[in-house]
Amino acid sequence: MSASSPSSPSSSWDAIVVGGGFFGASIALLLREQGLSVLVVERGKELMTRASYNNQARVHGGYHYPRSLMTAIRSRINFPRFAAEYATCIHSDFEKYYAVGKTGSKVSARQFVSFMQRIGAPLDKPPAHITKLFNPNLIEAVFTAREYAFDATKLAALTACRLHEAKVPVWFETEADAVRRAPSGRLALDLHQKGSRETQEPRWVFNCTYSQINRINVNSCLPIVPLRHELTELALVEPPPVLANVGITVMCGPFFSLMPFPARRLHTLSHVRYTPHCAWADESDSPYTPPFERFDGMEKKTAFHYMVRDSMRLMPCLSECVYKDSLWEVKTTLPLSDTDDGRPILFRPSEELPGLVHVMGGKIDNIYDLPQELEALINR
Amino acid sequence: MAGILEPFLEDVVRALEPNYKFYEIILIDDGSSDSTPAVVEQLLKRFQRVRYLRLSRHFGSEVAISAGLDSSIGDFTVVASPESDPCGMIPDLVTAVRRSGGILTGVTTGRKNRSLPARLAASAFHTYCRRYLGLDFKENSTDFRVLSRQAVNAITQIKDRRRHLRLFTNTVGYDLQYFEYTPIQRSGASTRTGFFKEANQAIDLVIASSPHPLRFASRLGLIASMLNAFYIAYIVGVYLFKAHVAEGWVTTSMSISVMFFFLFVLLAILCEYVGRLLEEVQGRPLYFIGQEKNSSVLLEHQVKGNVVNVSTERV
Repeated sequence: MSASSPSSPSSSWDAIVVGGGFFGASIALLLREQGLSVLVVERGKELMTRASYNNQARVHGGYHYPRSLMTAIRSRINFPRFAAEYATCIHSDFEKYYAVGKTGSKVSARQFVSFMQRIGAPLDKPPAHITKLFNPNLIEAVFTAREYAFDATKLAALTACRLHEAKVPVWFETEADAVRRAPSGRLALDLHQKGSRETQEPRWVFNCTYSQINRINVNSCLPIVPLRHELTELALVEPPPVLANVGITVMCGPFFSLMPFPARRLHTLSHVRYTPHCAWADESDSPYTPPFERFDGMEKKTAFHYMVRDSMRLMPCLSECVYKDSLWEVKTTLPLSDTDDGRPILFRPSEELPGLVHVMGGKIDNIYDLPQELEALINR
Repeated sequence: MAGILEPFLEDVVRALEPNYKFYEIILIDDGSSDSTPAVVEQLLKRFQRVRYLRLSRHFGSEVAISAGLDSSIGDFTVVASPESDPCGMIPDLVTAVRRSGGILTGVTTGRKNRSLPARLAASAFHTYCRRYLGLDFKENSTDFRVLSRQAVNAITQIKDRRRHLRLFTNTVGYDLQYFEYTPIQRSGASTRTGFFKEANQAIDLVIASSPHPLRFASRLGLIASMLNAFYIAYIVGVYLFKAHVAEGWVTTSMSISVMFFFLFVLLAILCEYVGRLLEEVQGRPLYFIGQEKNSSVLLEHQVKGNVVNVSTERV
């Protein structure tokens, strides 16, 4: 991986992408395809170590959003593309089952089936040895689905390789602080790296820092983007032997999901009620603390016991789950997701400072919604 | 009612926090019409590990308790009413259930001041339940109780539409014990139940617990039909041996008593079938498993040595 030093000549970049997560790196590649010279600055020592790594590693097949047609249909369309393009990072060799809860579910089995028919997501009858693992008093129906998981480590390596081939440099341990209009008419982006500071003058700045998006806005005296954050925990577990090669998701309420996590060869256990530990919002009328700072200062006491206890009611064999570790992360959503559970991408060119664009992806496979937007923006 | 939630939560947390690493408090709102949702909203910001379940309308306390039991996840579940139950006792009660693995039910020490007829009716009810239904509803028992996970699992499998925690804790088996306590009054109003309400509850409990009253009715029907059979014999006797019988008496009496005879026989049969239907419709699990153990004889004790005493030519 090539990492040039911050002493390169300034104002030589057409675009600087802030944030080396999956979305940042992908945007850098797309911009490069458009013939722009691009630089990626990343706070960490490697690509994709935060939210791109610390998630369920689910490649969405549309099943997960039975209440948001838009998100579900886009997932359905993106699913085969993502699986083909990143085939080397995809873990498809496991059985995936979706169950629908009886009490407390926001969707019934019939609604679930008709919704999946509508978006063309295949559902089949599961084998009897799987069905009988569920508590029939609490589970209305179980379906076999087709859904994959991605290996975050492999995906990061592949992305790094692609950036290298496309001659997109990445400056690691470099943080972007503020952006403003330079006298030259370009943007001025303040960067710092281990005490040394400098300013670059690109034409475009893409803020792909996910939970940290408003940090640059606040430092630059720009209005903030309304965002909601949660401290989330995914428990890494060794599943019971019968589920060693199985992923389970129970829809659509305070239930659990057990997904293979290929990067660690374990499963993640998450629970709608216990995975979020606390929540806060970026609002314009309260003082701003960057989410990473809050994250570092927060007590992280695992809720695995609660997750597994509640999941056992629906699926008694989960009592055999062995807790190994937890993945902690700040999960960020748009306030509008609160009501319809959709996960649209935020793609927001700043009105106050043309050239600055905020991009926040909700899910990794949403990436194919980006190229059109980008092209339209660049060639405007 | 909303005002007592804060002191209640404080009491509960004070009892649980020093004693347990993991716990959860589930507040069930049985469709309250006062400011409870707003008050709870504030309390959720102050207290950790509290869950608030608001039912869509008022369903009654039994259904509310069922909702709570359905959603509880702990090894031990305490059912407590914010109005009157002393939560400081919880750790001791849980320790007792940890030992017994069953159910611990609260009995109030304060005697209810009932009228004489009410007392008589109550004692008749309890005697009937003990003698004929094999159920011992302790007098003055309340819904303040501690249940083991096994007991909760068993109770949540019972799908009767009419919920009676008192009855279910009695019928699922497991070790059932009682403890005495003096209710406290967090709210000013006392919750005294009227005679007719209690009588209704008693009838509900009896009907829900057993088809015994139906068996009684079917026997009554059989006795009535027997009496009719004797009456038929009497009519025949009168017709044969008496000289002057009023005109029409025999046919009228005969038709009435024959009809009644068949009617009561039919009624008795129907009662039996309705009783069976009731049991089937309830669909309660046949049994609950209390414990399972397997033999654990060590192999070394069985294989004393790899030596044989006999050798035969043919195998």
